Amino acid sequence: MCSACGFPARPGHWTDAGGATPGERLRLRLIRLAAVNRLLAAYGLSAHDDGVTPGLQLFAPGGARELVPDLDALWAAAARMAGAPVDPLSARALDG
Amino acid sequence: MAEGRLGLVILGGFLGAGKSTWLRHQLHEGRFARHHILVNEAAGTPVDNLLLGGAARLTVLAGGCACCEGLPALIAALRDICDAASGREAGQIDGVVLETSGLADPGAIAAALAADQVLARRLRVTEVLVLADALHSAAQLAAEPLARAQAEAADRLIVTKPAGLPAAELARLVATLHRLNPGAGIEGAEQGVPVALPAPGAPYDLPALTGAAPIRPHRLRVGAEGGWVALSVWLSALLSARGEDVVRVKGVVRSPAGRLLLQSVRRVVQPPEILPEGEGPTPEEGVIVLIGRNIDEELLARSWARFGA
Repeated sequence: MCSACGFPARPGHWTDAGGATPGERLRLRLIRLAAVNRLLAAYGLSAHDDGVTPGLQLFAPGGARELVPDLDALWAAAARMAGAPVDPLSARALDG
Repeated sequence: MAEGRLGLVILGGFLGAGKSTWLRHQLHEGRFARHHILVNEAAGTPVDNLLLGGAARLTVLAGGCACCEGLPALIAALRDICDAASGREAGQIDGVVLETSGLADPGAIAAALAADQVLARRLRVTEVLVLADALHSAAQLAAEPLARAQAEAADRLIVTKPAGLPAAELARLVATLHRLNPGAGIEGAEQGVPVALPAPGAPYDLPALTGAAPIRPHRLRVGAEGGWVALSVWLSALLSARGEDVVRVKGVVRSPAGRLLLQSVRRVVQPPEILPEGEGPTPEEGVIVLIGRNIDEELLARSWARFGA
């Protein structure tokens, strides 16, 4: 954990696995962002990851934003912002 | 009296209770060294056998829970083991350990084996061990008829992962298990290593059960290459939204770092284990098994096609 910013708050979330080298981890992080945004689109939300700031930044259309450490926190924050859980099996996500 | 019959230990417990982990440690300690290990998995993709590399003799029955549709396969496998143990190879094994699927009622399996005319003369059930996950057991016992049936069928109940629960709640769980099955001994084990449990507290009041939707296994082909990122995103969203319904997920997925063994119990996903290449049995890659209720298979495939592929 960085003693200045407190990130990451806990060791390795499971969705951060899969990259053996720093470059690979960054590449996976950026590919992941596209997948996250495909799911968030139907809820009017978007995520941003500049590859430098730890965690992901989540934006709502009204201007609300939140910095989240991992995908669990992201989905929880997105559910709060959207007023409904981001459910990949829901009609909203599938037909939106 | 054994009367030349092989002893059978039935190892049961709800999905994700830690059956394979417990058994792996027993094998490591040299217990069941001369036993034939028989592993049953409800879904058609065996994963647990990867955890049990230490077994001298191992048979995996995948694709059907042995207490219902997989029963004929179980009976055939047990007959084969009995035949092998009585011919030239007599005396080579001391018994059989059956690790049931998490969907199985060990009581129903024991009853079915006793009803089989051949096996009734060749096998005797020496012990029914049922594992109960300290973190999830209270909720499972409250909501799942199967979890109660499993606890009720046990000769010995083993509370797994007790370190994750405060002692007061653990004491209540022990009391609840004791009330469900007063005849069974109750022990604790962390990763298969015995640990002491607190004295029983006040038992939880278990509600009468109404017909909850049954738990079914679903297979999802996620692709062998490059699917890991999309899968982790999609699955983390799914578990966040439907963690109550998706009881268990397991599978082996290819990532840039190697093959990852993925496992979850409800919302708790274990840190993916990297499987060494070329060691042990080759797992089916790129297929994950989702076990849960209220899941529409067609919707699952559509959702994966849209967000995963």
